[in-house]
Amino acid sequence: MSGGRRLGRKLLGSTATVLFVLALNFFLFRVLPGDPARAGLADPRLSAESVAKIRERFGLDLPVVNGIESLRPLRFGSLWTDPRETQAARYLSNLLRGELGISYHTNRPVAELLGERLWNTLLLLAAGQLLALAAGVALGAWAAARSGSRGDRLAVLGGLTAWSLPSFWLAMILLFLGSQFFGLPLGGRATPALDGGPLLRALDLARHLVLPTITLAIVSFGEYLLVTRSALVDVLSSDFVLVARAKGLSSGEVVRRHALPAAALPIVTLAGLNLGLVVAGAVQVEMVFSWPGLGAAMLDAVARRDYPVLQGVFLLLAVSVVLANLAVELLYPHLDPRTRRS
Amino acid sequence: MTTLRIRRIALAWPLVALLAACVQPLARTSETAAARAVVRFGWTGSPDSLHPGLGVLTHSYVVYALVYDSLVQLELDGSFGPGLAESWQRSPDGLEWTFRLRPGSTFHDGVPVSSRDVVFSLELYRRRAEFPFLHGYTTQIAAVEAPDAETVVLRLRRPVPNFESQIVFLFVLPEHVWRSVADPVAFDNAAMVGSGPFRLVEHRRNEYVRLAAHRAHPVAAPRVDEVVFVTYGTLDALAQALRSGEVDVVRGVSPTAVRALRRAPEVEVTSGVPLSPSTTFVEINQVDPLRCPQGGACNGHPALRDLAVRQALAHAAPKRELLDVLLLGEGAPGRTLIPDGLVGFFHTDLVDHAFDLDRARELLDRTGYRDRDGDGVRESPDGGRSLAFRFDFASDDPAAPRAAELLARSWARIGVRLERRAVDPNALAAVRGPSFDYDLLYWSWTSDPDPNFMLQAMTSEQIPLGGNYTGWSDPEYDELYLRQAATLDADLRRRLVWRMQEIALREVAYIVPFYERTVAAYRRDRFRGWRTDGAGLALEDRSSLARVEAMAAR
Repeated sequence: MSGGRRLGRKLLGSTATVLFVLALNFFLFRVLPGDPARAGLADPRLSAESVAKIRERFGLDLPVVNGIESLRPLRFGSLWTDPRETQAARYLSNLLRGELGISYHTNRPVAELLGERLWNTLLLLAAGQLLALAAGVALGAWAAARSGSRGDRLAVLGGLTAWSLPSFWLAMILLFLGSQFFGLPLGGRATPALDGGPLLRALDLARHLVLPTITLAIVSFGEYLLVTRSALVDVLSSDFVLVARAKGLSSGEVVRRHALPAAALPIVTLAGLNLGLVVAGAVQVEMVFSWPGLGAAMLDAVARRDYPVLQGVFLLLAVSVVLANLAVELLYPHLDPRTRRS
Repeated sequence: MTTLRIRRIALAWPLVALLAACVQPLARTSETAAARAVVRFGWTGSPDSLHPGLGVLTHSYVVYALVYDSLVQLELDGSFGPGLAESWQRSPDGLEWTFRLRPGSTFHDGVPVSSRDVVFSLELYRRRAEFPFLHGYTTQIAAVEAPDAETVVLRLRRPVPNFESQIVFLFVLPEHVWRSVADPVAFDNAAMVGSGPFRLVEHRRNEYVRLAAHRAHPVAAPRVDEVVFVTYGTLDALAQALRSGEVDVVRGVSPTAVRALRRAPEVEVTSGVPLSPSTTFVEINQVDPLRCPQGGACNGHPALRDLAVRQALAHAAPKRELLDVLLLGEGAPGRTLIPDGLVGFFHTDLVDHAFDLDRARELLDRTGYRDRDGDGVRESPDGGRSLAFRFDFASDDPAAPRAAELLARSWARIGVRLERRAVDPNALAAVRGPSFDYDLLYWSWTSDPDPNFMLQAMTSEQIPLGGNYTGWSDPEYDELYLRQAATLDADLRRRLVWRMQEIALREVAYIVPFYERTVAAYRRDRFRGWRTDGAGLALEDRSSLARVEAMAAR
């Protein structure tokens, strides 16, 4: 198959996935019990008149689609209503205009909110993942080079332990240790009322990043270590490595120049998957460290049944997973010439 | 080669972050908090909206009450003092209220507050039913007028007792700012201009709210320069932030952290009745299926409509244990929905169903609920359903699983089984009235300064409207409700409200484990003047924040 057709098919598949998620997002949240107009409140002060007015304001008084009045409770309606006056039509027309809607909860455009939060989450994730990747690959390679030794067994044990640590628990432990012994902040993204130059602000941000970054790095590090090690152990026993050794290369050089590139495939796959998934996976860490990221926004939106924000967050998650997968697939032929033919 | 270098730099930057931790002392000393008096107030949660019409969380109301003034001001003891109005009077028929504004109040942008701003604000709340709470307070207001710049006259549809409680949250907005807002319901009010003792400097959602002193405030000019409310992810982090000195004062201390904080020499822990008193209760679905609202499920266990069963449950509810285990004693045993913090309205002489398992068993035995198949759970007198009840609680309430466990254990001893379920709060709200799709449900409310809303939630009239969540109904109670809602004689009204509590308790409309105390803590070495001597405790209120001052030696 030619490279062009191959790329075309991949793009088509990715687009189809995103479209499917778009449709699912719309229906999924409307099936959930709970009324956005009540925002999780069961309060005697909230009058039926207010609830009706709020529903009208959010457009929730419109039929979901032609023929379905509401999804929960499921009520069928007329098929012959104006298709433009349905919730689905409004959702789609917003999307076609590139708009994600206005948050019920904050009256702010969802795109603006998500943009701000995405940046915060990426900052945290990039730091954590890079640290985990660097440490995991280095230690994995080190362990693979001396597989079977006591050092190798210790590294595997360490990797397994790190991988199985619950992130919220680790986060809480690190929070206390960091605050007690290193004077690190107990959460947030910036020290409020800190008047200073950009350098001071950057340092302040870095201080706030330390603990959540370490937490995320530790929980991802084990995975990278184990995958790198097992891939390398296989590669290190192959003939071309023997040849490389026979050429007189040092064992470090053998690993770096010959074995690692050959073992890169599973590592890159894992990193790609992680980049897509950790956006959602950082929820617990963001909650413990009160980091204003996407995970925290998502939780907030679920609690309030803020449909536009929920739809936006889940679309973003789906797109990031799809894009990360696409990027990894496009990288494969460059990493491993064998995949070009298949 | 270049790519390699870029890769190395990329890998190195998390390490830079780590190194930055070491320069932490630099950041500390250059904080302006040292130079200016900045109160750092830690809490969990954050305002949901800066628009007083749209916010629903208590955090929002804390900020509104600091940034805005109302006509009257809620005092710590639950009474009403002067706010923007320095005096007010009611016409003899109770239909007309005249407020005289205090001269010299200005908005944060320097524009004087006039009666026209009051009229504008009240009219806005009155016309917009989209405002979930504030609109509800205006339903009895027929007209708002401003005969002159210092006078506001409110005309009511019917006399409303304790009317001040209805206007205390109607925050006065500047007409000159809001007039030009095309759609006040879609407005985010990010600039928040008010006339209260603090003005908004910066709000970062779920991070912090920064307020600065409005020195020109005529009665509550702050002595500090700024107050910053900082959001923390967990109560444990909050307690640690106080200990480490990251914040000066906190609202909300987890019972488990109280002991550790009491040991810290520089921290003072204090507890009291919250300004908005709260009630934690077990709702009992007892709606009559024949009176089921349209679309309702009304599938509650029939035994719960039997008074003897409800009384037995009440006698077997271990309130003292719940209080000691869940709140480490920071609360009072509950009676009815009306919390003890509503001083005057709370029935102080009410005698509760004593904790007495034998009495509970006897009640069930006598009415024919016996364990016929020997499985430890009683069956109905007709031999049909066993006394196994669904017990639903909110999955986001950290104390609820323990409460459910203690209740289940105690009720098991009288032959009642609970099927405990943690439910998403939205889903939980959906199973309550008017759908009545539950047996027992664990929930809590914070009260208004007036008991009317809580009392209304037990009236028959509210069953089809969805405001009565249990379906409990009593004709005498209903009649008393209507009478108290129209009685201007405060003493007579109090007696009516007391009588209503007697009925609700006797008939076990709800089982109320406790009224929670609020626990706050502050550092002794930073600011002095915290109001801990009042009838209520609210360090986040202007009664403290406009009063505290920095200690000389920092």
